[in-house]
Amino acid sequence: MSGFVVRPSSEHALIDLAELARFRHLFAVLVWRTLKVRYQQTVIGVGWVVLQPLLLTFVFTVIFGLLIHMPTDGGRPYPVFVLSGLLVWQFVAQSFQQATSSVVGNAHLVTKIYFPRILLLLAAIAASFFDLLCTLALMIVFMLWYGVAPTAGVLAFVPAMLLAAVTVLGMALWLGALYVPYRDVGHLLPFLTQIWMFVSPVFYPLGLLPPKYELLYALNPIVVAVQASRWAFAGGEPPGSGMVAISSAVAIVLLLSGLWFFRRHEGRFADLV
Amino acid sequence: MSGPAIRASGLGKLYAVNELRYRRTLSERLWRMLRPGPVDSGLPEYLWALKDVSFELQQGEVLGVVGRNGSGKSTLLKILARITTPSTGQAELSGRVGALLEVGTGFHPDLSGRENILLNGAIIGMRPEEIRAREADIIEFSGVGRFIDTPVKHYSSGMFMRLAFAVAAHLLCEIMLVDEVLAVGDAGFQEKCKRKIQAIAQGGGTVLFTSHDMSAIERLCRRVLVLSEGRAVYFGESADGIAEYRRLAG
Repeated sequence: MSGFVVRPSSEHALIDLAELARFRHLFAVLVWRTLKVRYQQTVIGVGWVVLQPLLLTFVFTVIFGLLIHMPTDGGRPYPVFVLSGLLVWQFVAQSFQQATSSVVGNAHLVTKIYFPRILLLLAAIAASFFDLLCTLALMIVFMLWYGVAPTAGVLAFVPAMLLAAVTVLGMALWLGALYVPYRDVGHLLPFLTQIWMFVSPVFYPLGLLPPKYELLYALNPIVVAVQASRWAFAGGEPPGSGMVAISSAVAIVLLLSGLWFFRRHEGRFADLV
Repeated sequence: MSGPAIRASGLGKLYAVNELRYRRTLSERLWRMLRPGPVDSGLPEYLWALKDVSFELQQGEVLGVVGRNGSGKSTLLKILARITTPSTGQAELSGRVGALLEVGTGFHPDLSGRENILLNGAIIGMRPEEIRAREADIIEFSGVGRFIDTPVKHYSSGMFMRLAFAVAAHLLCEIMLVDEVLAVGDAGFQEKCKRKIQAIAQGGGTVLFTSHDMSAIERLCRRVLVLSEGRAVYFGESADGIAEYRRLAG
């Protein structure tokens, strides 16, 4: 026998983990739906997951590797270098855009049925992890092809992706909640993603920046996540501990404040979406 | 154990009419801040979509909620289903709650009938083992037969509706909130819905449903709640409630 009380809110906790656990089946089904629908009625289906980073790597290699002669960490081949960045960046860009749009994009669910709305964001991010795994397989193929050995940094890759996911979730909680009353967010989202890529060392090395700005640069936690991937797969230097500390703090503040903001407004999503 | 399945006291929902309109884009809001002089419409006008509604519903009871369009029926259901929070008051629901504000919520056109059973079942609150155990019954009940593995975008609207209802009909819960489902579909479909509601009540389930169909209300409910402009104007025996509804509608 279960049950609940509805009231005007809002003295609830930042996150109700027991309730999220009760909705784990719906979460799993939402992730399955996202992946299934994304590659339904496409000729090469899941092949797109590998083809996208492959094509981007090619384009970046031609422009920045061959034409601009961009330096790389430890002089590694540019394709390996840029793919180790794209590995993280593609995950960030995709999960950020989809998680932010998920409440508005699922308005037909939000106005008809109850579930913790954060589930939509979590499902979008989880579905992007699938793509990340496929890109990781491509990364391994590249490393074998170019004869680049992984380093001890691989141990830092999982925590680095966790840092990226927490950052994305924090950002998406804020913007996803703002998107409901303000459709301006929909127009802002592609620009924001693009700017975010330029301020992350995806196609250029971290070392290009004067070291005195490193800590300022680490205010963007994706910088540290990308650098950890470089360290693991493309012979880069590990990110400095000061940078890691600042990035982690930023990610946690984003997440906690995002949870607070989202919880404060989710009760009215169905009225405004 | 027995006791009220639903206890609502003083439920109210306040909407700011202008807020809904003006907050659509940030620029409009900024523009209003920048523009000097008196603002044309002044402060937001407020509207009580629901005001001070209280009632108790015992386990095994079927309550009909009636009222004209815009009387607050859907708002009441959305509050009880936790889709939107009330502005005032509170409600306690004891038992597993299933809310059907429409049939086929979340159906995806690109997915097959079978896949949509899984998706829609999970959305309306069925556990995976429940869905698996009832899948054959749902397919049988829907009558879509060999089209079950075809994407539902190729279904006729009748097939789509039958499959969607078949999933909903296999949702088992202690409290059912059903909105206007009886208004869609043909006569046969509506009859199925009514029988389903009766079966739930006979099994000890509690049902709260809204309808404009007074013959359905008369047949299924012992008590009705009549809403008018967001207020409960009558709560009691269905014969008197129907008379009150007819008086308001007439």
